[in-house]
Order: sequence, then structure tokens, then C-alpha cells
Amino acid sequence: MQCDWPLLGPLQWMRYVNKQVKVKAGKDEERRGWLLTVDPVSASLVLVDFGEEEEGGRRASVQVVMGHAVEQVEVLQEADEETTVRLQASFLPPETHSLDP
Amino acid sequence: VSWQSSATAPPSDRPGERRGAEMKKLYGKDAAKILAMEAAMQLNFDRKCDLKQPKYWPVIPLKL
Amino acid sequence: SIPTSAACDADPELLPTEQHARSVLRESFLRCLLSMANKKIQFHMYERVKVEATFRASDIDVLNFQVSDLHTPIGVQKEALIRCQDVISFTFDA
Repeated sequence: MQCDWPLLGPLQWMRYVNKQVKVKAGKDEERRGWLLTVDPVSASLVLVDFGEEEEGGRRASVQVVMGHAVEQVEVLQEADEETTVRLQASFLPPETHSLDP
Repeated sequence: VSWQSSATAPPSDRPGERRGAEMKKLYGKDAAKILAMEAAMQLNFDRKCDLKQPKYWPVIPLKL
Repeated sequence: SIPTSAACDADPELLPTEQHARSVLRESFLRCLLSMANKKIQFHMYERVKVEATFRASDIDVLNFQVSDLHTPIGVQKEALIRCQDVISFTFDA
């Protein structure tokens, strides 16, 4: 990443979506995860980490890195189809017809 | 109130229309959907702040 | 508030593509915020401050988070607002 992360814009951010990334933020803090999305308002990154399969289902941990704190973003690998589907379904409501209960 | 209003848009004669036009430029044909989601979330935030009167923590910002 | 990118100033034909990308990214982020309601969140803040709280709501400009039961180093604050500018990152279990 050459220039300021918050200034890249949607088309550039899209190139990092569905990739496993390494993010440097704040002072010597480093995080890894699958990049679900980048908020176009705050440039914040949503990283998802899928834990081990457990009894009673799969757990995922989510890290959100604030756009203003981002110093470096590096792509580690691309997601396969299964990971992409799982990633993009992370926060979808179980039923598709409405947002509110 | 102790929380900061989110009104960051510059003043204009018709703020509602201005916001609509800005959203249209940013989000194109999906502007209405995004606007609706945002309106619901902002309302939820405003209501919770009105109800609970939360104070900033920390009192002094860590980062200026 | 949000500028359209330099790419679109240079090539207006990219505009619908950029608008679509922005919508997809924004909707996905808003759904993430919605899913956080009432969850325990760990905040990593500047000055090596780490605190835990129950998330309630965010304003749409991502400037403030309203949280409950914020565990500060000197005790629990029942209701609080966290400035997003103070936050480096936060984590939770989906």
C-alpha cells in the first residue's frame, strides 16, 4: 500500500476484500484475518478469523481495525470459494426478507 | 447533552435534499437502501444516548 | 464528507462501478455493526489502554460508540461513550 489507507477509495479497497491480510495499526500492533469489508466512511477494516470447529457449531472471531490507525495492509493469500462464501455470510441475517424483527 | 451530534454536513438551504443528493452521488442506485439503514441506526444511537445519558470515557481524549 | 476517488475524476465511466463497490462495502460494514449489539467487545485503545464493554450502538459516521458496563482500570462505568478516535481496534466473537 503506497498512500494513506483512508484515501484509497472503494475500488482500491475492493482489491483486498476476501483476502487474508496482515494489518499494522497503532504502534507495533499487527493483526491477521480474512478481510470481509472496508467501511467507506471510516476506512475501518473488518477482519474475520474462523476458529476450530467445535461441538455445537463454528465460532468466528472478528477484529475491526479503525481506518485512522492503519499503517500498513499486506495481502497474504486469496480465499478459496468455500472461505469466501463463509466470510461473506458472517453478518447476513438468517432470513433474507427483512432487516428488522 | 454530552455526546457529539453527527451533523458534519455543511449548512445548506435544504439539508435533507442536500444529503439525498450527496448519497446519490456516493452510492448511486443503492443510495435509498443505504440511507434507510443509516437512518435506522442513527435513530437507535440517538435514542440510547437520550435515554442513558452516557458520559465520555476517558474524559480527556487519548488521541487529540 | 466522503470524496469520490481520484480514479473517478480521471475516468467518469468508473463512477457506477465505484458507487456499487461503496454500497457493497458500506452495507456489509453496517451489518457488522448491527450484529455487535449487546455483545462483549474488547477495545484496544491508544496509550496501551485495553477495556471491555457491552456494545449498544454506533453513530453512522463512526465517531462514537455507546457501550454499557465499561470495565475501566478504576471501576465499572454503567453507561459510556467511547470516542472512535481513541480506538485502534476492537474484537468480538461473532
